[in-house]
Amino acid sequence: MNIQRRKFLRAAAAGGVAYAFGRTPGTVYAQMSGGGGFPDYKAMVCLFLFGGNDSWNMVVPTSTAEYDAYSTARGGPLGTGSGLAVPQASLLPLTLQTPDPNGATYGMHPSMVGMQQLFNAGNAAVVANVGPLITPTTKAQYQTAATTGHALPPQLFSHNDQQDQWHSLRGRAIVKSGWAGRIADVLNADVSAQQLPLNVSLAGQTFFQAGEIATPYVMGAAGANAFAGFGTAGTNLARRTAFEAIANASYGTVYERGYAAVQRRAVQYADRVNGAITAARDFTALPNAGVTLSPLATQLRTVAKLIDVRSRLAMSRQVFFVSTGGFDTHDDLAADQPGLLGNVSASIKSFYDALTEIGMQGSVTLFTQSDFGRTLTSNGDGSDHAWGGVQLVVGGAVRGQNLYGRYPQLTINGPDDVGGGRMIPSVSSDQYAATIARWFGVNDTNLPLVAPSIGNFAQRDLGFLA
Amino acid sequence: MNHSTSIRSHWRQFLVSAAVALLTACGGGGGDSGGGTPPPPPPPPVTKAEAFRFLNQASFGATEAEASRLIALGDSTTAYARWIDAEVAKPAGTLLPYVETAYATLSAQPNFNLQQLNAPRVEKWFENTLRGSDQLRQRVAFALSEILVVSQVGALQNLGFATADFYDLLARGAFGNYRQLLEDVTLHPAMGVYLSMLGNQKAVTGTNLRPDENYARETMQLFSIGLVELNIDGTVRRDSQNQPIPTYNQNIIEGFARVFTGWKWACPSTNQNCTFANTRAQATPVAGYNQILPMRLYPDQHETGTKLVLNYSGVTLPNATIPAGQTGAQDLAAALDNIFNHPNVGPFIAKQLIQKLVTSNPSPAYVQRVAERFNNDGSGRRGSLEAVVRAVLLDSEARNVATGTAAASAGKVKEPLLRLTQFWRAYDGRAASGKYGAQAVNFPGGVSSIFGQGPGQSPSVFNFFSPSYAPPGEIANGNLVSPELQLATEFLNTQVTNFFWTQAINRTTAQTGLAADTMFIDTREEQSLVTDSEALINKVAEKLLGGAAQMSATLKAEAKSQIDRTAAGTTANNNTRVADSIYFVVTSPEFVLQR
Repeated sequence: MNIQRRKFLRAAAAGGVAYAFGRTPGTVYAQMSGGGGFPDYKAMVCLFLFGGNDSWNMVVPTSTAEYDAYSTARGGPLGTGSGLAVPQASLLPLTLQTPDPNGATYGMHPSMVGMQQLFNAGNAAVVANVGPLITPTTKAQYQTAATTGHALPPQLFSHNDQQDQWHSLRGRAIVKSGWAGRIADVLNADVSAQQLPLNVSLAGQTFFQAGEIATPYVMGAAGANAFAGFGTAGTNLARRTAFEAIANASYGTVYERGYAAVQRRAVQYADRVNGAITAARDFTALPNAGVTLSPLATQLRTVAKLIDVRSRLAMSRQVFFVSTGGFDTHDDLAADQPGLLGNVSASIKSFYDALTEIGMQGSVTLFTQSDFGRTLTSNGDGSDHAWGGVQLVVGGAVRGQNLYGRYPQLTINGPDDVGGGRMIPSVSSDQYAATIARWFGVNDTNLPLVAPSIGNFAQRDLGFLA
Repeated sequence: MNHSTSIRSHWRQFLVSAAVALLTACGGGGGDSGGGTPPPPPPPPVTKAEAFRFLNQASFGATEAEASRLIALGDSTTAYARWIDAEVAKPAGTLLPYVETAYATLSAQPNFNLQQLNAPRVEKWFENTLRGSDQLRQRVAFALSEILVVSQVGALQNLGFATADFYDLLARGAFGNYRQLLEDVTLHPAMGVYLSMLGNQKAVTGTNLRPDENYARETMQLFSIGLVELNIDGTVRRDSQNQPIPTYNQNIIEGFARVFTGWKWACPSTNQNCTFANTRAQATPVAGYNQILPMRLYPDQHETGTKLVLNYSGVTLPNATIPAGQTGAQDLAAALDNIFNHPNVGPFIAKQLIQKLVTSNPSPAYVQRVAERFNNDGSGRRGSLEAVVRAVLLDSEARNVATGTAAASAGKVKEPLLRLTQFWRAYDGRAASGKYGAQAVNFPGGVSSIFGQGPGQSPSVFNFFSPSYAPPGEIANGNLVSPELQLATEFLNTQVTNFFWTQAINRTTAQTGLAADTMFIDTREEQSLVTDSEALINKVAEKLLGGAAQMSATLKAEAKSQIDRTAAGTTANNNTRVADSIYFVVTSPEFVLQR
């Protein structure tokens, strides 16, 4: 049992401590069984595309009728007037394992060669039209929600609110934790031997990883930075000891205590990471030198290294958070999207290839999230904030070469559009998360703690992971 | 200071300093003299610790010199308001002229690219914040720059004049009216580019083209009213289902999106014939260049129909709708009036300024007192930032040290960048070249790569940290927030901690051979005390914490023991002793706390 959990149990036993998660009493976490540990290793890698990926251009219908509807909705091809449609001939064909019964076919954005290869090789899947929902929602239910009280996620189309929805799956509840944070909470007893927290971010603080009781670790994109002036002997060791004593002292304000806690963890975890990571291999696909990696690829290289040295850190379950930004394409979609999606595709492919070099591709699932999908309609040279969108899932455990969920009808004012080409999600972020969490080792009893609205949906598992 | 003194301070702000002096004189020798009651004791002077506390709220970091100046201005009932009076009168330091001068030099060099203009803007920002005399104005401008956000990261990366001028706009407007500031910000081309109002065009019938919603959304969500209805004290209003009440819906977003159509680059003064289609950003500063001119309306691209806007109690537009057929300028004025007069603006802006200057978790009563000053500055005017800033800083909750249960959440975490400016101000940070904070030697990879933030370098319009950020644990569980702790990751804390170690051990007046642009600190006083660890650590605490007595016993004991582990004598050892003394204070949780 680790320190955090011991402290929590002590606090809970003392009474009066309510770790409120929606209406779920925090004591539920303390009562959970477990502690057996995991015989195997699994890692989730969340790739967050900040800004709201215009994913209707990432996976596009290529069959004639569906492409024409898409192109019309987007105002015609890119480069003609205000059109946003990717030209049909440039799309990279995706070969579905089970062809669509209605004959619909799909292609990937021309910049995503690596992703196309992963998909067609069966190592990637597309989840179509996923987004925050509290309960299944039709267009009619959306339009009358104000009078019927049909539950919708608050502040749809707003960046930070919808990021929070993806991170926390909070619906309308007030929640202090993200769904990966809660995974750490429910698996707490099973991973107590781990030398690092279950959640590690390579891309700064994220609500996604904040637990009710578990705390994530935020390290640098290229590794854990060591403390200058600290050493293992003499004055330099004493400096470290004094620094830790100051960080361990008691303070009168929550601010000092909050800061001091980070200082303590920083010293402790940097040692552990740096002690292990030098043993990681130099990947051909993500080499240490000789190639300039994008910031995203750099983050993924570090993730691959940590996976390579997992045993040294006694890790059996890890959630990594990586990110790349610039997706808020209100402007210049034509100019910016190839670079944005090209980087995502190439980075993911390299990461997958690096994992195959160490034989770990079957134990690692990378999945994308983004603020929201974007409007099909054009504002001149870009698109605006919307709702549902397409996400990618990559890894050896993925039942790949398939499209999960339901690709919507890309018609303005059609049955899936709430206005301006904003698609109502056909599957919820809760279902997406629950599918991943089950694969990761969260049992069915605890699944609602991770994905609180899952009970409102018939399908708890979308089936894209084996 | 008790509540009545606080009211007295508020009242005092409307008097010229001569009248203040008169009032003080009357108070000392007037009405009480005839009676038998003894005269009340005179108000106590401002202590050094109190002066530090105030100056950390109102400037880029307290220094002993500025604390002495503040203390000399009067007693604890007069000094603060007088200090503010003087600050408000000072002209604004600027960034743009320095960037223009830098351009002249840089653009003559081979391989010049426009992104190089971001670095001189940051240099000048450090010079203004470390050396400028208009400290309060610059501090408020910095706070505003974290609310009305533009950034060199993204679409503005090549528009260094626009970003510099935008910051200057905030400094000029720091004590002005918020309605005017909102308009100036809306029409500034930096904002126009950043949130894509620049070039926003009307819908075209028969196509799926419709106006861009970006600025419409963010100006309401982030710059004025926020997402949900607020009470005057900043707390969230709730409906009968206990749910927050949204301030707007998608139809209103679309209404404002239609308002904000037709604006693009102004014509440079050298060419008055530009059109919506052909006008471009001018890359060279000549007289009247359009990176700094307010955007111009091109009427042919402005939506002329009706526009749905915000509806609230007291809204003046019939049906909360802007009528059809107005000019773009009329639409803009009506729309900004409609936003500005929403009851949320006072509490929304008041709370954020309190959080950025004084405390992360103000009481609702404090927010309300400041919001009321926003709504009415005392002379019936709405939106006076000067009145708001005075109310923020002179409030009893800002001036009194909290006691009891409130003490644990009073104050805030200093932003990493403000920790740096306070440190450099306290230690006379400078470089031989006369440049401040030059990137290449001081911040390889940029200020943000070390401190997690840099002037005008936010990763998005949502700023470096959110006003509602609460780290997991006792802060989140206590329904408190600590926005700045969003930057306190293990990674960034280590970066910042190491930066201060390098500064203290290798970049001081005791070193020779530093690169011309290297920022170094003045440690001569510490060197003169180097043999006496007690005196040494006390000296550092005087400079950074406002007094040796402000230092905790643990910090003092640990730092002192560490200093004494290195024997004084050799140059290297003396430098280590000085470095340890500074390092342990500047990286301590108690320095990170703004009390």
